[in-house]
Amino acid sequence: MMFRIDRDVLAEAVAWTARSLPARPSVPVLAGMRLEVTEDQRLKLSGFDYEVSAEVTLDLQTGEAGVVLVSGKLLAEITRALPAQPVELVVDGAKAVVTCGSARFTLLTMPVEDYPSLPAMPPAAGRVGSDVFASAVGQVAVAAGKDDTLPMLTGVRMEIDGDTVTLAATDRYRLAVRELKWQPEQPGFQAVAMIPGRTLADTAKALGGSGAEVEIALSSAGGTGEGMIGFSSSGRRTTTRLLDPEFPKYRSLLPTEFSARADLSTGSFVEAVKRVALVAERNTPVRLAFRGGEVVLEAGSGDEAQAVEALPVDFDGDEINIAFNHQFLLEGLGAIDSDIARLQFTTPTKPAILTAGKPVDEGANEDYRYLIMPIRLSS
Amino acid sequence: MTVYGDLIGQDRAIGVLRRAASAAAEAVAGGRGAGMTHAWLFTGPPGSGRSTAAKAFAAALLCPEQGCGHCDACHQVEVGSHPDVTFVRPEGLSYGVRQTRELVLKAAGAPTLGRWRVVLFEDADRVTEQAANALLKAIEEPPPRTVWLLCAPSADDMIITIRSRCRVVTLGTPSTEAVANVLATRDGVPHDVALDAARAAQGDVGRARRLALDEETRRRRAEVLSIPRSLTGVAECITAAERLVKTSTEDADAATTALNEVETAELRRVYGEGSTGKGLNKGLVRGGAGALKELETMQKSRATRIKRDSLDLALLELMAFYRDVLAMQFGASVELANEDRRHEVETVARASTPEDTLRRTEAIMKCRERLAANVHPQIAVEAMTLALRSSGVVHRG
Ligand SMILES: [Zn+2]
Repeated sequence: MMFRIDRDVLAEAVAWTARSLPARPSVPVLAGMRLEVTEDQRLKLSGFDYEVSAEVTLDLQTGEAGVVLVSGKLLAEITRALPAQPVELVVDGAKAVVTCGSARFTLLTMPVEDYPSLPAMPPAAGRVGSDVFASAVGQVAVAAGKDDTLPMLTGVRMEIDGDTVTLAATDRYRLAVRELKWQPEQPGFQAVAMIPGRTLADTAKALGGSGAEVEIALSSAGGTGEGMIGFSSSGRRTTTRLLDPEFPKYRSLLPTEFSARADLSTGSFVEAVKRVALVAERNTPVRLAFRGGEVVLEAGSGDEAQAVEALPVDFDGDEINIAFNHQFLLEGLGAIDSDIARLQFTTPTKPAILTAGKPVDEGANEDYRYLIMPIRLSS
Repeated sequence: MTVYGDLIGQDRAIGVLRRAASAAAEAVAGGRGAGMTHAWLFTGPPGSGRSTAAKAFAAALLCPEQGCGHCDACHQVEVGSHPDVTFVRPEGLSYGVRQTRELVLKAAGAPTLGRWRVVLFEDADRVTEQAANALLKAIEEPPPRTVWLLCAPSADDMIITIRSRCRVVTLGTPSTEAVANVLATRDGVPHDVALDAARAAQGDVGRARRLALDEETRRRRAEVLSIPRSLTGVAECITAAERLVKTSTEDADAATTALNEVETAELRRVYGEGSTGKGLNKGLVRGGAGALKELETMQKSRATRIKRDSLDLALLELMAFYRDVLAMQFGASVELANEDRRHEVETVARASTPEDTLRRTEAIMKCRERLAANVHPQIAVEAMTLALRSSGVVHRG
């Protein structure tokens, strides 16, 4: 096997594939990156950590078909430092020789027959812009639980109904829901998938930024490749093993009627919460008192240092005193992607909804909703 | 050779597993799959092949031909890289609840390659009580395509709630003849040497192979078995205890070193050792030092366990010696584990009573218990050698 390729193209592909290699491989071959030159002159680089597989396909001018497995870490280190000249890799017995300009490396190869079979890609289900997808995933993944005791709370639920994709995640203290449009392959396509949150966020980030479209591959119930979801864009593809699709019935949690609405400048609100929270222990609440035209933020109590600050607010409805975990509030404000933040309330003990604020006459923008549970105040 | 080829003298168990694997294949094909179970417990004495059997069954579940032994699936299970098999080997003395929860999470969800998701848990008896409860929950309500294969010396080693939810596969002790036959045909060991090794290893194929092929292993065994006749005085008992602890430590060190060397070399190669080029001659690439350190931590914890196991093995050999003595005292015509030391067995049998022998085996059991309870090895073993020495008459006096 051999191939010759542009240095930047190779280095970028190797770096991208190496991201999915396990940090602590349970067997040494998993530290390997599989390089295959196909008969039709393509180079496929793949990595696998059992949960996620990544594969890049590149076109070649020069190549001889074959497969080799080399240490992914080593290959990534080497390709990063190569001079800007064509790179050639030739397999010679148990070694792979990389030459580039005057640089020459000899890499030990690993037994390719021991390498695990990569999961099959499910059938293509539809397409969405990679940037829209990356931002939507970012908005929702923020609410997925980080501690791994209940699988359903670590995942992002993806519901597909025709041309609408709904993403949702919750760690039981907040719930983020985002709706977006996509182009399904079949007009009436329906599917539900639970994707590990951290993996989805990484994948969306890794495929985003190119402006290209992301193809999502997912089988409807009972189809081939069930239990897997695939994402591909510009010659890069990943597969991820799905979690059990069980998820809280979240739609009923989203209030539809409110007793009050507050619109604030997102930037000043974030700054004020941060300053006030400085005195608060981790996980202690920030208290908010909304009155006509003003919100008073307060944290700390008793012997603790106290902080108080006031902000102007466009407020409509019944006055309310409510408290939130400041970290969850800040994460929500970071996710709405708007200069104006809108909070809507029912009672001080029921969840509030955070959305992007808009001038009232434009109607509500409900593509993204961040539900946050208040902390009960002892009076 | 099918995947069951490494199981010696376990025809009954193989029959059970074959039937279950074909039921499993039926379930994969969309059928009822009656006869397939989601939780299994493989039990049997050391060396009978608990984990070998579990591994063979894992391959049979994942192979399109139910364990052909030569396809990609069979090969990947064999080398430990199959994406749908999670191998769990508690390297320390126990396995905690946090690790177990992570494991349960990993075991949930659909199989990557579409057949089954298998967790092969060696030494499952090492789970802590809390961990066992976490495990129980997973076994009670397994996802449709998840299969748990637990291995433990005996069913009693698992808490009853887990045991009662598992189908138990009991592996018997293979006959001396069967083990000797394997050594003779696969390893080219002369038949009489193979027989001695097989008897001495009492059904443990791996141990028999080491005894037959490794001079050092034989020397250490001879050292252990020289103890009964060396216990002539108190000072000698103390020296014998020292010798026993030292010998088993050497044995453990040898085993540890062999394992460590392979792993360390493999890891170093991942980080650049053996590869050449600019920058690669200055040592490992980024991340290498950290990864090596992590490996060393794991190896240290494993070494502690191996040391304990090795001393226990030496005690079991002593135990087998006194069992032979007892058999001779009762005139039972059974095969002696120490057939190659018949003369020594006879000498001890004549010089003591069956009561002495029983008391001595109890002393050995007591020593094993104390070691398991973390008593310092030298102290526990000294107490044992002193007890082995004293004759019943003195004791009763
Ligand atoms: Zn097979």
